[in-house]
Amino acid sequence: MYSEAIENALGANGIKIGDSIRLKTTNGDFEGTLMPRPEAGDAGILILKLKSGYNIGVKYAPSAHIEKLSSPTETFSFPEAKTTAKRSLEDVTMLYTGGTIGSKVDYVTGGVHMLTKASELLYDVPELADIANIEARDLMHIASEDISYVEWQQIAAATADAFKRGARGVIITMGTDMMHYTAAALSFMLKNLPGPVAITGAQRSSDRGSSDAFMNLICSAYVAAKSNIGEVGTCMHEKSSDDSCAFINGTKVRKMHTSRRDAFRPVNGSATARVSYNGKIEYLSAYRKADATTDKISAETKFEPRVALVKIYPNSDPGILDYYLNKGYKGIILEGTGLGHAPVSTPHKEYNWLEEIKRACNSGVVVGMTSQCLYGRVHPMVYRNLRLIHDAGAVYCEDMLPEVAYVKLGWLLGNHDRDYSMEWLGRNMAGEITPRTEFEWFDA
Amino acid sequence: MHDDEYYKALGFKCGLEIHQRLATKHKLFCSCSATMKEEPALAKLERRQRAVAGELGKFDPSTSFESRKGRRFLYNIFKDTTCLVDIDEEPPHQLDEEALAFALEIASTFNTKVPDEIEPMRKEVVDGSDPSAFQRSMLIGYDGTVGIGGKSVPISSIFLEEESSGIEANTHEYVEYNVDRLGVPLIEIDTDPVIYSPKDAKEIALRIGMLLRLTGRVQRGIGSIRQDVNVSIREGTRVEIKGFQDIETMDVVIENEIERQRNLVDIKKELEKREAVVGKPVDVSGLFSDTQVKILRENAKNGGAVYAAKLTNFGGIVGREINPDRRLGSEMSDYAKMAGVKGLIHSDEDLKAYGFSGGELEGLHKELGMGKQDAFLMVSGPREICHRAIGLALKRAELSLDGVVPETRGIDSRRLVTKFLRPLPGGSRMYPETDTAPIEVDQQRFGQHLTRKVDYESVKKKLEDEIGNKQLADQMIRSPKLGLYNAVIEETDAAPPVVAAILLEKMKDIKRSGIEVDSINDETVIGVFERFANKEITKAAIEEILKALPKNPSEIGRIVREKRLERLSETQIEAIVKEMNMADRGQLMKTIMTKYRLNIDGEELNRVLSSMLSNMK
Repeated sequence: MYSEAIENALGANGIKIGDSIRLKTTNGDFEGTLMPRPEAGDAGILILKLKSGYNIGVKYAPSAHIEKLSSPTETFSFPEAKTTAKRSLEDVTMLYTGGTIGSKVDYVTGGVHMLTKASELLYDVPELADIANIEARDLMHIASEDISYVEWQQIAAATADAFKRGARGVIITMGTDMMHYTAAALSFMLKNLPGPVAITGAQRSSDRGSSDAFMNLICSAYVAAKSNIGEVGTCMHEKSSDDSCAFINGTKVRKMHTSRRDAFRPVNGSATARVSYNGKIEYLSAYRKADATTDKISAETKFEPRVALVKIYPNSDPGILDYYLNKGYKGIILEGTGLGHAPVSTPHKEYNWLEEIKRACNSGVVVGMTSQCLYGRVHPMVYRNLRLIHDAGAVYCEDMLPEVAYVKLGWLLGNHDRDYSMEWLGRNMAGEITPRTEFEWFDA
Repeated sequence: MHDDEYYKALGFKCGLEIHQRLATKHKLFCSCSATMKEEPALAKLERRQRAVAGELGKFDPSTSFESRKGRRFLYNIFKDTTCLVDIDEEPPHQLDEEALAFALEIASTFNTKVPDEIEPMRKEVVDGSDPSAFQRSMLIGYDGTVGIGGKSVPISSIFLEEESSGIEANTHEYVEYNVDRLGVPLIEIDTDPVIYSPKDAKEIALRIGMLLRLTGRVQRGIGSIRQDVNVSIREGTRVEIKGFQDIETMDVVIENEIERQRNLVDIKKELEKREAVVGKPVDVSGLFSDTQVKILRENAKNGGAVYAAKLTNFGGIVGREINPDRRLGSEMSDYAKMAGVKGLIHSDEDLKAYGFSGGELEGLHKELGMGKQDAFLMVSGPREICHRAIGLALKRAELSLDGVVPETRGIDSRRLVTKFLRPLPGGSRMYPETDTAPIEVDQQRFGQHLTRKVDYESVKKKLEDEIGNKQLADQMIRSPKLGLYNAVIEETDAAPPVVAAILLEKMKDIKRSGIEVDSINDETVIGVFERFANKEITKAAIEEILKALPKNPSEIGRIVREKRLERLSETQIEAIVKEMNMADRGQLMKTIMTKYRLNIDGEELNRVLSSMLSNMK
């Protein structure tokens, strides 16, 4: 928004954003297109797009002369990708939810906005039409950090529905920040998958020629159309280069970098498959094979939101557990240190977690212990302090990631009683717990 | 060269874009070192880029052309000069303040106004030279001037932007870039298109270059300054000539470009009169299954195809010369080459020389339905490449109906003519850099930079004092070697007159003799003068080393040893004098200097002789 003085001057001259104007000031005369004021910067400065394409900021003074030259003649909307289904290709449903993959520069505001139609993505990546018959469905337009379990439920239901309507595989496009939470949630919610579910997105928005979105979509389409995987997983760049994507099981994946395109890495596992740009699928580890009978698929989407993920750190206040207990929480996942520690023998009573953990367990809350090391397995026996926590009633969650344990407990408590939840929190359901820890998994 | 009236009659207009790297410590939008050094690459990345719908949804003509080429890009990354920002894996950091300060000083030097708020932009580039597929650039000055010969030439804009990557290899499958150079601050200075003769263009380019060097804020050395020239004539359209490395020949290249444009306009008029039409590609592989034409046979061996197309009423025109040794057909061939073929064959060539049989040509004429005034184009190669190549060549043929084609052209430095690089980028490839905030220039912080001017007179006086020769000093202040001169004087104890004479005169002589002496990097030249200052070599030996260096880069030590260029010490000289045992001093000096010209400094010999003589007395 421009300052009041500018808005008034524009209004008085009948000028709107996007109009071509002439501006005469003490600092020179300018002709160009009036741009809107981005959030950053001085509201008293007009932004013009000059004929050269460059923008310039011109300070407005009441003495300045503003004149409208013309209104914009062209408005552009993305053409719809025209695809005709090919009989030789498989049907794939693409569920669009929002995120960077759908971000476009708004050429009017200069800011980034979400694209308005899922089919715009098909327009950007014409190759997709040669891989599968893709039906793009607009499910929601939301940034991944704003996603809650309610959206997980919608996405899970839409995925099951897509399979029931005959899709061989499903691609879900979304923001990357919380992609691994969604991947975990869908892994638990979707049962008896008849085909692959590839979740993908982009670290660079698809309005730039260098976007990772293009290859991520292409590889996801290959997975959805050609692989016999019957799991939910992420399909994102394997390396910084644009040559292959990794399909990683939704319970073993984590975003490990803020900005790199190969941010998604398997933790305590290896990728299920490597998918090259030209469609070669190389299976790298054991996976659940798709069960092609579509009527068996179900979406168990109930979720208990009163579950918390709590981090242990030096000087952390165990009173936080009281807070959750008082709010009626049903589950707590602790992100402990090392093998699954929290301070329980400390001389500083105010930082001793043992009593709080006991109290939580005794009051019927399911408490799970994971490790902030992320890599490796927690263990309840190696040290006395571990045994104290275990004896207090906490479930040691093996080599399950803290975020996955959080999602799993929410799903368990949403669909099952406390005892069942406690029993299954520490047992494998969807690939989140592995019996063996292989050497290469931490050999990057 | 012609007189001004000639250019005026043609409606010739020309504008300059001078690109100069700034001598900052860091890159423009990250903290990587802005100084390239020779080090092995740390890793190699592979990326693909594609044209995306630009502003207002339009595809930029130049970007979509590049992505039609469908090439992969490889990037070599380096330890100190590459970070995640360079390889499109991290958002840009804050604008480098030193770069902004230097840019503002340059804006002041060219008397421009500075925007109240500077708006960083993204300029789309899909030739792969930037892993992010855009270059960050911002307008930092407008409405300026540069004075020359009592006249004032308008400087329309000054931009501060990121340098592109350097090309390491360019093949039809991929282009390989080094990203150490990427992101180094670069200043672009644009004149208005108000230059009316090739000679003036050269003079103004020289003047802008000199002023930039005199700011003391710019990098020196090979490639640190580049000149682009926009050229048009009334009946044509703007053509951008990119990358003048040798400013000395700028006027000749522009002259030839004017000639090319004139010829293209003439051709257009004639084609119009003849109602010329461009045909469609036809697969004529079958006609040449038994051919004796070498190129076709070789391509056929690898399962290649032959495509041809008729150009109705183009007969005689495809082969018409438009520049020395360049025909209209050469332009079509340049387009075809973009697809990966080596060239094309057209009917205005001596077809018998290729080995075509009469029967083959007859068959081809029949197949294409050739009339008397028609021409044809022919391309051979792997089917897909070949099909694309003929399509591109026909595109160029069609454009010849428009006359001059808006293009970005490079320079053939041997023939001093321009050659096609890519279509001229349109205006629809800029959008705001949303990852950084607009910049309001803080008067308090940048005030001194906003008013700093180049002090021509005091630089001139300093040079005159140092060099002791007005003419050489005057030459030095205009020379691109000024920065190198200053560095030598600063870093070594070499006498300024010697340094000036060698840099300006000797190096020019060596270059004239055909040795690429300008390819020696600055650090090596400084190293040579250091040896001279340390009395390891003589002045005469400097020249010998400079002659040998282009073929043996950075091997001063080896050259000195192998060419026996070590300077002799006083004791050694005394021993030689004694051994010669000659009475006539003049004769003695002459004999010794003939034999030891490169190892003994004449003045030193004179001094030794004098002192030996006085000792004898």
